Amino acid sequence: MSQIKTIHNPIGPLEKFLDLLLLSLIIFMTLKGGTSGACAACKYQRRRCAADCPLAQYFPAEQPKLFQNVHRLFGVRSIVKILENLDEAQKPEAMKSIIFQSYVRDRNPIHGCLGITQQLQYMICLAEEELKAVNSQLQIYRNNGPYHQNAHNQMIHEIGEKQEYVTSQLNLGMGLTVNNNQNNITPFFSPLPVFETQPQQPQMSYTYSSSEINNNGYSPPVYTDSCKDILTTKNNNMDASLAWGQNRFPYHHDNGFNNQNEHCSEMKSNNGVVAIQSQLVNLQMVSNKHDEEGDVEYDEIHQFLEIIDDKQSFPDTKVAYASSSGESLKERIAENGESELRSAATCFSLTSVN
Amino acid sequence: MSSSYSNYTNSPCAACKFLRRKCTSDCVFAPYFPPEEPKKFANVHRIFGASNVSKILQEVEPHQREDAVNSLAYEAEARLRDPVYGCVGAISVLQRQVLGLQRELEETNADIMRYASCLGGETTSVYGARRG
Repeated sequence: MSQIKTIHNPIGPLEKFLDLLLLSLIIFMTLKGGTSGACAACKYQRRRCAADCPLAQYFPAEQPKLFQNVHRLFGVRSIVKILENLDEAQKPEAMKSIIFQSYVRDRNPIHGCLGITQQLQYMICLAEEELKAVNSQLQIYRNNGPYHQNAHNQMIHEIGEKQEYVTSQLNLGMGLTVNNNQNNITPFFSPLPVFETQPQQPQMSYTYSSSEINNNGYSPPVYTDSCKDILTTKNNNMDASLAWGQNRFPYHHDNGFNNQNEHCSEMKSNNGVVAIQSQLVNLQMVSNKHDEEGDVEYDEIHQFLEIIDDKQSFPDTKVAYASSSGESLKERIAENGESELRSAATCFSLTSVN
Repeated sequence: MSSSYSNYTNSPCAACKFLRRKCTSDCVFAPYFPPEEPKKFANVHRIFGASNVSKILQEVEPHQREDAVNSLAYEAEARLRDPVYGCVGAISVLQRQVLGLQRELEETNADIMRYASCLGGETTSVYGARRG
């Protein structure tokens, strides 16, 4: 008996090692969802992921939150129905947009993508106003050939009269405060134009209060690589890049966003000269400050677009949902605005003495 | 059928009409889907589903629900019109517009700075002459 025991003893550790190896393999395969590696969709629904699972390629197992967002907003049946009616080439693009839309809805349950659309519209409105003002200023410089000295002095005089309006509107252009809007209600706009093949179809128009947009809480979302692909022009598929708003894009700036622009013009008519002052004050500042600070008014737009182009991987936890800079844009806008005001006041006092 | 009109003050909301059920006084959809806009709920139901919409509404504050419903209606209609890109297409276009305007502003500002720097040199010389 003891001899038998002796014979078995050398095999014991090896057996244990093999048992351990087998156990770890089983655990690993269980975690992977069996031998097939279940996608996040099938894992969430606790079902076996078939080889021809239509959602597997869009929802990797490592990013369960992607599917959770989509499931919460659309539901599996709706996604499958949408995909069924599309060509093979269109399916990846459709899924990207669905994932993006769901992600945005998760970040902003009240406004979702409409909130982003309105913010962008507002930014465009402000940028166009500022561009108009700047172009008119440039025209003055160009037209007053031999008299450009007088024009320059006149503009400096105007700066002196309206010193308090030195902050560029573009700097405030994230549209998070709409203080000039008396009604505090976003303008009535038609989100969609009349569809060309159905000329009789009436436009659906929705109004809602801007109470949430005016709050300090909203910060632009952090986007994943797949979300970034949607919004950049790095898409290799030319048809897709064309489809992003050109040939197949049903929204026309003229039709869909006219009311928004008109309202913006009304809002800014009283402050039309503000942008001019800001540009000229910036000119004074340039000679005294670094080049970086001359670009400070565009930081907000850059930050927003950088966030859209952010290369961070999709976060799985709520903590990672914080904006990349760690502070709300509105706080940044306020800080920049204050520092510009102080600098502008300093510059003005120096020039006015001369 | 008269039995479906259990809401004594108003006719059933668009959601309950569509779902063919009783519209009770505490119907979560009634305030936001009036019977005059049947298509609004039809679109939202088609894309998102009534239960998803109900869950979303219950997650937000009552005073924010109207905004939430309107944004969902907008997104649903956008998705129906463009099943591939939905409302995300609009975001893409607007973003490109913003970029274009930003570039144009930078160029125009650079032009102004060039003019101003020329004037700045002349100004200095004029002031220097006056002081002299």
